[in-house]
Amino acid sequence: MIVLLALVVLGTLLVGTLFAAMLDRSHLSIVAFFARQRVETEAPDRLNRDLAPAWYLTLAGAGLSVVPFAPGLALIDSPVGIVIWGSCEALVIVTVFLHGWSPNAPFPLIGAYRYAAIGLPVMLPSMFVLIAAALPAESLSLIAIVESQREIWNVIRQPLGLPLFLIVALAMTLRGPMDYADAADIATGTSAEASGAGRALWQTARLAMLVSVSAIAATVFLGGPLGPLLPGPVWLWLKTAALMALIVLLGNRIARTTPSRMMWILWVVLLPLSFLHLLISGLVAL
Amino acid sequence: MTDLLVALLAVCAVWTGWRVFRVDSMVRATFSLMLSFVAVGAIGVLLSAPYIGVATVFMMAVEMMVMAIFMVMFMMNPAGLNPMSMVHQHRVSIGAGVLAFFGLAAAILVSRPPSNPVAPDADVVTELGLELLGPSMLIFETAGVTLLATMVGAVILSSRQGRFGSADEGSRPPGLTEGGDPAGQRPDGGGGGHHHHGGHG
Amino acid sequence: MMSLSRLMSRAPAPVFPAIGPGRQADVERLLSRSGLRAAATPRDAAILLVAGDIPGTAAAPLARVHDQIPRPRVTVSWGHDEPDAIAARIAEAWREVCAGGEGEGDRLPDEPPNKWKGVGPNGQGGKGMMGGVPYGRPMAMTGPDIRDGLQLDRYTARFGPFAPMLPPGLVLEVTLQGDVICDVTVETQPFAQPADADAPDLCAARMLRLLGLAGPADRATAGKKPRGVWMRGAVPGGLGSVDGAGDARDRLSRWLSGTPVTASVPDIPALLKGAEWSEAMLILASLPPSAILRACQTPEAA
Repeated sequence: MIVLLALVVLGTLLVGTLFAAMLDRSHLSIVAFFARQRVETEAPDRLNRDLAPAWYLTLAGAGLSVVPFAPGLALIDSPVGIVIWGSCEALVIVTVFLHGWSPNAPFPLIGAYRYAAIGLPVMLPSMFVLIAAALPAESLSLIAIVESQREIWNVIRQPLGLPLFLIVALAMTLRGPMDYADAADIATGTSAEASGAGRALWQTARLAMLVSVSAIAATVFLGGPLGPLLPGPVWLWLKTAALMALIVLLGNRIARTTPSRMMWILWVVLLPLSFLHLLISGLVAL
Repeated sequence: MTDLLVALLAVCAVWTGWRVFRVDSMVRATFSLMLSFVAVGAIGVLLSAPYIGVATVFMMAVEMMVMAIFMVMFMMNPAGLNPMSMVHQHRVSIGAGVLAFFGLAAAILVSRPPSNPVAPDADVVTELGLELLGPSMLIFETAGVTLLATMVGAVILSSRQGRFGSADEGSRPPGLTEGGDPAGQRPDGGGGGHHHHGGHG
Repeated sequence: MMSLSRLMSRAPAPVFPAIGPGRQADVERLLSRSGLRAAATPRDAAILLVAGDIPGTAAAPLARVHDQIPRPRVTVSWGHDEPDAIAARIAEAWREVCAGGEGEGDRLPDEPPNKWKGVGPNGQGGKGMMGGVPYGRPMAMTGPDIRDGLQLDRYTARFGPFAPMLPPGLVLEVTLQGDVICDVTVETQPFAQPADADAPDLCAARMLRLLGLAGPADRATAGKKPRGVWMRGAVPGGLGSVDGAGDARDRLSRWLSGTPVTASVPDIPALLKGAEWSEAMLILASLPPSAILRACQTPEAA
C-alpha cells in the first residue's frame, strides 16, 4: 500500500508539473534550457547553488506526501500533517534565499533577501488560515480535516481562508503579484545568474511546488478527495488542476506592487484579517 | 531500525553543528545550524513527539532565515570573495566547551533516563495540547506575551522615527521646575554620535 | 518522434537586446511578437540582438554582455532591415543554436580583473571581515543608513548601459544599502531616441513589465486592451512626482488611456535618492525616454 501511495504521489507530481508547464506555456523553453550551457559565476557557493533546486523539488514532494488521496489514505499519515506543510513553507523561503545567495552577485542577492523579507510575514496568515481549518476538525491531521468537510467544505464555512491561502500559494511558487524573488526590475532576481540546466531545473521545481500547494489548498478548503460518483483521487486531481489554473491566471493578471508597500499590506491588512478569520472560524466551530 | 535512524540523525546533527564553526561565511554557518536543528527535530519525531519535532523544524527554519536576513543587512557579502573566520575568543570558548562537555557527559552518565515507552495508540498531540492549554497555560501565555512585549519594545526603542518625531531631535527631558533646566544628563549635540564608535573587526 | 533539437527550436527564441541610439521603439515592438522572448538577463538568452550602431564607449560593456550569454550563442545585428526580416533571421539563428555546435567564442578574456589579493588573516580582501578589493571587486563596507543612521553595508556598483530595466545607454553608479539607493550619479547619458520611443503604448508596456505583467505588456504593445488587474493601484501614489506631469501613477493612467506625457526636465539623482530599487526603476520607466535624456544632458545632472 505504501509503495502504491508513493507511486501515486510521484505520478501526481510528475503529471502535475507537466500540466503546470502547459498552463504556464513555458514547457518548450524549459526543455530548451536543459540542453544549454551552465555558466559559472565568480566564486559561487557551488553546494548551495546545486542543492537549491533539489531542495525546492524535495519540498514540493514532501508537501504532496501528506495529502490524502482517498479518505483516510495519505502517504505520510501524520497527526500533525498541516505542521509538516508549514515546515515545508518555511523551508521554501530558506531555499529561495540560498538560491539567490549562492551565485555571489548583486541582483540575485537583492532578490533573495527581498523574498525572505516578504516571505516571513506571508507565513503568519498562512499559519492562521491553516489552524482555522484545523478547528472544525479538532485535529492537525489533514485526514481529519478532510473528514470534517463531509457536510460542508471549508471554502464555504470559512470564506476568507481560500483567498488568503491563494496569496501564500503565489508566494510559494514565485508567481505574479508575490514574485519578489524573481522580479523584472532586478533582472529575474535570484535566477539572474542561473543558466542552462540549473535554470531549467529551478523553473521545473517552481511548477512542481505549484502542484503541491494546489493539492494542499484543495485538501484543506475544497474537501480533497471527497465528492460523488468519481473515486477519491480523481476528485483530488480535478480540484488541484482547477486551483493550479486559477493560481496561474491570478499570477498572470494581477500587478505586483513595490516590496515596501506589500510589506505594509501584509502586516497592516492581511495579518489582522487572518486574525479575524481565525476568530470567526473559532466561534463558528464552537 | 528506529535506533539506527536516531543514531544517524544524531551524527548528522553533531556534524552539521561542527560545520557551523568551520565554514567561512555567516550565512553558511546559519544554515548549518538549521540543518543541525532539523536533524534534532527528526529525532523528536522518531521519539513519538511528532508535534514538537516538526514544530522544531518549522521554528528553526523561520528563525535562521531571520538571522540570515540580519547578517546580510549588516554585511552584504555573498558567497565567496571575502571569507571570514567563524571562531573568536579562543580561550574562553575552549574553556566553555570543555566545561559544557564534561558537565553534560556527567549528567548523562549519572542520571537514569526514564524508560516508560509511549503506548502505540496514545494520542500524544492531543495530550500535549491539553497540557499546554490546561495546567501550563498560565506559564506559556505569560512567557509569550512578555516576549512579544519585549520585542515590540526593543523595536520601538531602537527606531529613529518614533511616534513623536525623529529620535535625534528634542530628546531632552523636561525641567524639574516649569521652564527650568532639563533634568538629568543633557544629550550631547547631534544625533547618532554613538554610531561612530562602533568598530568593525 | 521529434528530435530534441526540433522540440527545442519550437520554443520562443530567447533574445537579449542591446539597443543602440534610435532603435528602442523598433526593438520593443519586435520583441513583443510571439515566437520571440525578451530575456531579462543574458544568462536566459541564446541570441544577442544588437540594434543600431553601438557607440565606441559602450563597446566593452557590449562584449561583456556577449560573453555572459551561455553557449552556443549567436549575435544578430540589426541595421536597417525590416522587422519581419530580422524576426526571420532570429528564428534561423535559434534553429542553429538548437542544432548544437560551438557558437561564437568569448570576446574578452575570462579572468578576474586582478589576481587574488588577500589582506586579512583569513585570506579576506579587507583588514576586517568587510571591505577590501579581492579580485579587483570592491566589497561592501559599512556606512550610515540614510533612513535611520544604522551602520549597514553599502554596496556601490555600476548598472548599464544594456541593463534591461534601465533606458538603453544610461549608466548609473548606484550605492545601495540593501534595496535602498543611498547615492546615485549618472555616468553616461542614455542614447538619443526619436519621438516614437515616447509612444504611450510602449511607455505603458515598460511600466507593466516592471509590475510583473509581461503578458498584458505585450498586449498593450500590440494595441490591444492589456487586461491586467490593479495596474494603476500597484504603483504607489506620490512616487516620482514631476512638475506638470503628476506622479508615476498618473503618468501610467494617461499612457494606458493612450495620451502621451510631456514631462519637464526632472532631476534624476534627486528623484532616485532614498527610493528603493524597485521604486527607482518604476520612476525611471514612468518618465518618457526623451525627458530622461534631456535631464541627463543638463550640466547639473551630469
